[in-house]
This record gives sequence, structure tokens and C-alpha cells, in this order.
Amino acid sequence: MAVEIKVGDRVAWVNLLKQDKNILEIDVDGKIYKVDLMHTADGTFSILEGGHSYTIELVPRDEPKKYTAYTLYQSYDLEVIDAEARYLMNRGGNGFDSGENTISSPMPGKVVNVLVKEGDEVKEGDTVIIISAMKMESEYKAPKAGIVKKVNVKNEDTIQGNQVLIELDLIEE
Amino acid sequence: MNQIKKILIANRGEIAIRIMRTCRELNIETVAVYSEADRTSLHVRYAHEAYCIGKPPSNESYLNIDKIIDVAKKCGADAIHPGYGFLSENAEFAKRCTLEGIKFIGPTPDVIIQMGDKIMAREAMIKAGIPVVPGTKGAIETEEEVLAVIADIGLPIMIKASAGGGGKGMRLVNDKNEVVSAVRAARSEALSSFGNDSVYIEKYITSPHHIEFQILADEHGNVVHLFERECSVQRRHQKMIEETPSPLMTIELRDEMGKCAVDAAKAVNYVGAGTIEFLVDNDLNYYFLEMNTRLQVEHPITERVTGIDLVRQQIRVAEGNKLEFKQKDLEQKGHAIECRIYAEDPDNNFMPSSGKVYKISEPLGLGVRTDGYVYEGYEIPIYYDPMISKLIVWGKTRDEAIRRMRRALYEYKITGVKTSIKILERIMNNENFISGNYDTHFIEKNREQLMSSEKVEENDDMIIIATFIDYLDKLGRTEENTKEFAPAQSCWNKISYRNHF
Repeated sequence: MAVEIKVGDRVAWVNLLKQDKNILEIDVDGKIYKVDLMHTADGTFSILEGGHSYTIELVPRDEPKKYTAYTLYQSYDLEVIDAEARYLMNRGGNGFDSGENTISSPMPGKVVNVLVKEGDEVKEGDTVIIISAMKMESEYKAPKAGIVKKVNVKNEDTIQGNQVLIELDLIEE
Repeated sequence: MNQIKKILIANRGEIAIRIMRTCRELNIETVAVYSEADRTSLHVRYAHEAYCIGKPPSNESYLNIDKIIDVAKKCGADAIHPGYGFLSENAEFAKRCTLEGIKFIGPTPDVIIQMGDKIMAREAMIKAGIPVVPGTKGAIETEEEVLAVIADIGLPIMIKASAGGGGKGMRLVNDKNEVVSAVRAARSEALSSFGNDSVYIEKYITSPHHIEFQILADEHGNVVHLFERECSVQRRHQKMIEETPSPLMTIELRDEMGKCAVDAAKAVNYVGAGTIEFLVDNDLNYYFLEMNTRLQVEHPITERVTGIDLVRQQIRVAEGNKLEFKQKDLEQKGHAIECRIYAEDPDNNFMPSSGKVYKISEPLGLGVRTDGYVYEGYEIPIYYDPMISKLIVWGKTRDEAIRRMRRALYEYKITGVKTSIKILERIMNNENFISGNYDTHFIEKNREQLMSSEKVEENDDMIIIATFIDYLDKLGRTEENTKEFAPAQSCWNKISYRNHF
């Protein structure tokens, strides 16, 4: 079974040719590797190839078929593109709205202070909400000038990562 | 006082465990307290006894004096160790302990008040003849006052929480327009971190070194210093790396500053372990910055070069014993460096990264120590400090210590959450750091090299193969994870297993 795997800008074509327990023959972009591969089900890999020893830790990311791989020196983001993924990709975007008209915090935390209310006019760069996460307070600013359409949280609320906190109606220049 | 038999540790995280380790060695029983968010925290598991003291926010748990005293009395603890942060520099707490007949492991409430209030501390040091940084005499109330001070000493200035520490409640002001938001932010942070929103102003010394001296004092008037710690590698006034000896230090300056630190401690009749922080400029002028009346985060590097367990000394002093050594018995052997590992993303403006730790491999081997508290499957709570561990290495020379730190950082793998390990590696490879040529602006001055994510040439194919096999493995797998090494075919074995709570 062959799939494509995306790592950075590279999309590699991979196919398993032969397997005898931990001795595998794998084709990566036309190059045939014979490797001795042992791994745990939770993603620690030990690969021996041509006398070299590689230790790799694979961590699944939030979405299926996406991984972060750690080697001794660095980390990589990878994605497996199989038939199902290709089908979903061809159907176009995932419908996720992350425009300039919302303010959200990339991490979970607590609302310290909401500085605006619905109907307020804000300028680009105005501080609209203060969030505390892990004892550090951060000020979130309006990405563009606009009118506050909706405030979804109040002071002291605990918030999730990427939760939309404030929605704006943008004022066209 | 008699020998201490049971200590309640009024803290969490790595420092709670570090204190308990020494207690174990001394056959002292340990009592952990924890918030509802910390039920599965390692300090709860490591202690002999553990009691819940309230809701996750610190002011409803780790800062709740009544509750902690109540637990200490019920479980029969004869002493409380406050660690650092939380109640460690809270005089009210120290007083309550004494009132209830529980030994507070730290100085007397009077000294905590005097040194904890940075303004009173400055006055005491001026009186003792120790140089201080120019600034306000008292706390500031209004924006006008701030502007008046700026007119007097000029910009830039630092706004600091009178009760501050650890970089919280501190703001640098370069421009008059920043005053309002800086004061507001400093006050708000100070209130939530220390329960006191009073702030004051100091002139900002440009290009300073942050060098501190560890001191130890007993109840019998004996005071020694355990040399310096260079803490200039900081980001937003949060220390990232500390080392001892300081590359800036000379033998003469060490003697002079050491004596000064001892004098400072004597001037306030200090008892226990404490730290005198100085700012040192490039001409080797030094100014008293503040005194920390507690154990410091970076105390392990001092332990490493002097061979002295500072927590053990704190406990001995609290028991009323005399110090076991004199100044002449102490020496710095070799070089020690500490790197603080934070759960934050250096490639994304150091955004704190909470979440579940997937896997950890800790560095080991000659000259390596880690003081941490997270484990595989542990969910890092959002309520507390993002520091998850400290990596301390020792080498015969500074060069050997840096090489060892590099090696240890490569070994250190924490996955599932983002950590500062990568930027620490870059610092260990930075020319200016290697040559010891750095001050508190090191991170900004070397931003380009430290923020660049240039990759080492590596063969991608092996990670592609690993990903591919994992993908195939998951397609055919129905059972839970297994932790054992197994051949690639193991996807058909059925072993049920959980690696987290």
C-alpha cells in the first residue's frame, strides 16, 4: 500500500515492498531502503539503516494522520496523504473561519478584563480584552477598526484555546 | 528548637519535590498540600501525606493561609517549608506559623516585611552603607507622580511591584505614553501574584549584569556567602539560564561583593538561606537590587559547585543549629550551569503551551541533574507557572559545562507540549554566550541567531518511514497503546494499557 507523506515542502511517495518482522524493505521516492525497524505503539521508533542508528519520536497531532516527529536535533511536522485525505482535500476548504473580524486566544486561560461592550467602536490596535494564562497577562488588540458585534465572554470566565472571544463588524476604509 | 520530624511543604511543582527529596534523606516525614487542579501532580504522589486545600486559582489554594495552617495543625507538622513564590515571602504567613507553634523555615516575619517591601529594603541597605539603584523613596499612587520621577531621574525607568519577584508585576517604561498601561499591568499582575498592588520606580540601568550572592545565616550571628550566580540571560525579566562562577567576576570583586552580601544580611539580623541580588555594570560598579528571603529557583548551581545541600542547611538552621562551616571552608569547584525549561513556544513569541505531556526522556550521565515534576500523561495546569523543569550540569571548566549542557539538551525530549529547549540549545551555540560576553539584553541583542530556525542537514527519509509504519500500524490496530518495544508487526497483538491518569 503506497501513500504520500508531506514533510515541510516535500511530498514523498512511500511504499512498503517487503516485511519480515522487523526487517522492512521500503521505497521512498524511488530509493529502496532496507531497514531494521522496532517501535512502540505510542510512537518511539528505533531504525537501523546502513549501520546508522536513528531514534525518532512520533507524536500524533490533534487532527488524524498528522504528526510531529522529533529526532535528536530537531522536530518536523508531517502529514499522511492517503486516498481519504486526498478526497477531502479535493472537496475544498474545511469551512473554518479565522478572519480579521474575530479575536481569539491561541491558548486556554482566564479572562481578566473585557474592555469593550457590544456596539462599541474600536480602532485598529485598541486593546479589547486581557487574558491571563499561566500567570502571564496578555493584551489582545483589535486587528482592524470596527464595531463590536458580539462579546462571547465575561470577566473571570475560563476560556479554551482558539475560542472566539469577541466578534467585530469591520468598518470599510 | 528540637529536631524537626514532619514538614508541610506549602508549594507545588518541582520545588516541592526538591524539598521533599532532602526530607527523605533526613528521615523527615513530608506533607503535600494541593489544589483541585493538582490531584495528579507529582508532589502529591511523592509525599508521605497529601491534603487538598481548595480550588485551582492560587488565591483559593496555595495562597490560602488559614487552610494551610489548618492542615499543618491537623497532621501534626512541626515545620512548614514555603519553597519559592506563593507564600514564601509573606510575613503574615510566617507570623501565623509562629503563632500556631509551627516553625516557618525562613527568616523572621520582621525581616520578610523589611526585605519584601523593596522600599524598606532600599532604606536598610543605604543605612548599612551598601550601594543602591537610584529611584523613588516610596510607593507611587498617581500617574503624575510617575511623570515627576521621570523628570527627575530620566527615562527609561522600571515599574516594580513592591512585593514583587520572579519578574511578575514588573514593567519597563521607555516612553511617557506607556506609563498608564504599564502601571495598570504591573499593578494587576502584582495583585494576582502577590495580593498587593503597590508599585515603585527605579532607574533602569542599561546594559547591566544581574549577579546575586547566596548567603546562609544561623540564629547565632554566623553569616557566610556561597559565592555568586550570574543570572543575566533573561527574557521579560524572567531568568532563563544561570551559571556560577560568573564570567564577569574577578577574584577581588567576588571578595568585595561577598563581604557586602554578608554585611547586608547582618544589617537585618537575617536567619536562614537568602539571596542578595545586585546589578553590575560593565565598569564593575555594583548596586543592591533586592534581597530574596527564600530559596531561589537557581539554587542548585550553588549546591553543585559548593557541595552543600541548601535545603538541608535551611532545615538545620530552623532547628536552631549553628552553621557547620565557616567562610574559609567554602570554595567553588568547577562550573555549573542551569537551564530553565518552560512550557512555552520560543518560535511563537514564547506563548505558554499548556496541555498533556506525551513523552519525556530526561538527560542522564556524568554531571547532569534535573529538577522537574512533569511525567508522561501529565496535563500541565493553566493556573500556575509554566516552568516544568530545571536542567543543571557541572563541568570542570566553563567550556566543559557548556558542551555538557548542549549534550544534555539534545538528550532532553519532552513531547506533547512546546518547550523552551530549542532556544536553550541555540544559546549554548551562541558565540557571545560561549565567550561569556553577555548582559541582561543578551536575548534581544542576539535575537537573529536565537530566533532563526535553521535546520541541521538530516535525512528526512527515516522520519518518513517511521510515519508510514505508524500510519499502517494504526490502520490495523484496535487495541490500546503498549509501551514495550516490539517489532513493526505488533499491530496484531492485543495488549491493553494506559499511560496516563
